[in-house]
Amino acid sequence: MNTVKEANDVLLDCQNVWKIFGARSSAAVKAVSERGLSKKQVLQDFDCVVGVSDASLQVRRGEIFCIMGLSGSGKSTLVRLLNRLIEPSLGKIVVKGREIAKLNPAELRDMRARNIGMVFQSVALLPYRTVLENAAFGLEVRGVPKDERNETARAALAKVGLSDWISRYPSELSGGMQQRVGLARALAADPEIILMDEPFSALDPLIRRQLQDEFRQLTKSLGKSAVFITHDLEEAIRIGDRIAIMKDGIIVQVGTAEEIVTKPAGDYVAEFVAGISRIHLVKAHSVMRPVGDFKTSQPHCDVDALLKASPEADIGELIDITMRSERDAVAVVENGSIVGVVTTRGLLRGVAGMPAGAPGAA
Amino acid sequence: MDTSVITDLFDTSTDNALGWIGDNGEWLFEFIRFVLQGTYDGILWFLELAPFYVIAIIAGLLAWRLLNPVAGLLAGIALAFCAFMGLWAETMSTLALVATATILALAVGIPIGIVAGFVKTFDRALEPALDLIQTLPPYIYLLPAIALLGYGPATALVATFIVAMPPSIRLTSLGIRMTPREFIELGQASGLSPWQMFTKIRLPFAMPSIMAGINQSLMMAFGMVVIAGIVGSGGLGETIYGAVRTLDIATSINAAIAIVILTMVLDRLTQSAAHRAKAGVR
Repeated sequence: MNTVKEANDVLLDCQNVWKIFGARSSAAVKAVSERGLSKKQVLQDFDCVVGVSDASLQVRRGEIFCIMGLSGSGKSTLVRLLNRLIEPSLGKIVVKGREIAKLNPAELRDMRARNIGMVFQSVALLPYRTVLENAAFGLEVRGVPKDERNETARAALAKVGLSDWISRYPSELSGGMQQRVGLARALAADPEIILMDEPFSALDPLIRRQLQDEFRQLTKSLGKSAVFITHDLEEAIRIGDRIAIMKDGIIVQVGTAEEIVTKPAGDYVAEFVAGISRIHLVKAHSVMRPVGDFKTSQPHCDVDALLKASPEADIGELIDITMRSERDAVAVVENGSIVGVVTTRGLLRGVAGMPAGAPGAA
Repeated sequence: MDTSVITDLFDTSTDNALGWIGDNGEWLFEFIRFVLQGTYDGILWFLELAPFYVIAIIAGLLAWRLLNPVAGLLAGIALAFCAFMGLWAETMSTLALVATATILALAVGIPIGIVAGFVKTFDRALEPALDLIQTLPPYIYLLPAIALLGYGPATALVATFIVAMPPSIRLTSLGIRMTPREFIELGQASGLSPWQMFTKIRLPFAMPSIMAGINQSLMMAFGMVVIAGIVGSGGLGETIYGAVRTLDIATSINAAIAIVILTMVLDRLTQSAAHRAKAGVR
């Protein structure tokens, strides 16, 4: 089977997972699996609330996977299903090839302690412990000797820039610093996957952006995978390699930031995406006109004399190039040959977020 | 039908039951008396090892460390004042009584409170029993105790123990139940075993509440130990009771002042310890 290699790279596999809350949830689960009831029907017939409905997602090794949704969309429930803080009603969650629903309590504790870290919106630093003791908490739980765990924790705190604060107490730190300790605590335990439950939501915008960039850099340099929950699409776009959009417990779209912005699945996503700046998201290949097309409409324009850009250049770069050029077009070059032309009109279309086929595309 | 028949029947059966317990459980009560008296004698012996000024200075230093220098000075002077009133021996036996009863009440109450904090049904069953203990007039405990244990400190200790226990049970149970949700989640997500969850998360968060319970138990014990003067507890309680009987107002007021001093010093010391526990958790 040639899919084995690929399957190995999937660290966390969530297959058709449901979570139904309520007194009659087991009957509701049965009805869902047998008759395929909708969320609305479950609420009507069983008075049960569907938290997560038929969610499937795969997180690959080294990938940052964002789950974005508004409050009540089920994103926090979904992330808690991934380390079994909440038991799934239906479906399968496989972490590193092991189905977590089948682990016994000791195995589950071991998996949580070694493989899946978690960072909370509330940070949850133990107030009666110093920063160092907090960062070493996960290792302490695993029974790592004191010197060793303190050394590891010190290194993790250094990575988040808190070396000078190790003997302070959490209450002496600012919100942003506290969340850094939360991240260091998760990193010190050296898990493959880190679950981030809206970690930066309570921080002010400047600190938030700073931490987003730091988090992405750190996760990538350490080769960790992360599932990052957020209610902020811009945050998801800054951080995520791929983004899942959730609404009412359903994952409505999964894709890269560019895919979601340029090809939103349905009105709900489109509405979200409307306010997002496309300047760094939309790439030349999605706003260019085929070179033949351009030549027929503008026969006296010498395509070879245009300034050149790669198909992966984003709109920001293309605007820069256009400003430097005397002409209102940029040639897109792939493998040494011109494949298309981005006109100013095309750039405007990209910024405005109009799909290629829409009226006014020219 | 005369309803007094029923009440008479109840009264005689209560008397009989108490008599039966006294006859058949003598070895048990002998043992309880032995343990209580032994603990009390031990603590008193220890307290009497040092002259009064040493104890006053130790209390002063503690208050200085835990509170502030002024409190330290006041605590030292106030305790020395008890000695100047000629009531040092009584003050120390009162302290020994309170300490013995409180330590025993905590040794029983805190574990019960911990279990109640985890097991909701147990907590609910405990509630009416604790209400009963706290609403009955404290004198009530002296009678069966004197019938079973005789006149002396042991009886005072049992009654004080019963009165001092409820606050520590209640506040321990409350503290264990009130662990913030997010920290329980942290514990679960970090892979804590149930025992680690208890020692590393629940207990530290419950500490301020447990400390408040210790303080409350201590205060209840002080209240009871004076009342227990009637059954020959020794100490300031008995001094006051004797003074009341002979209308010796001067002595009764001196003894009351000594009680107030001792109570306040211990209250402030344990309260500041509770505050420190709280500051740690904040």
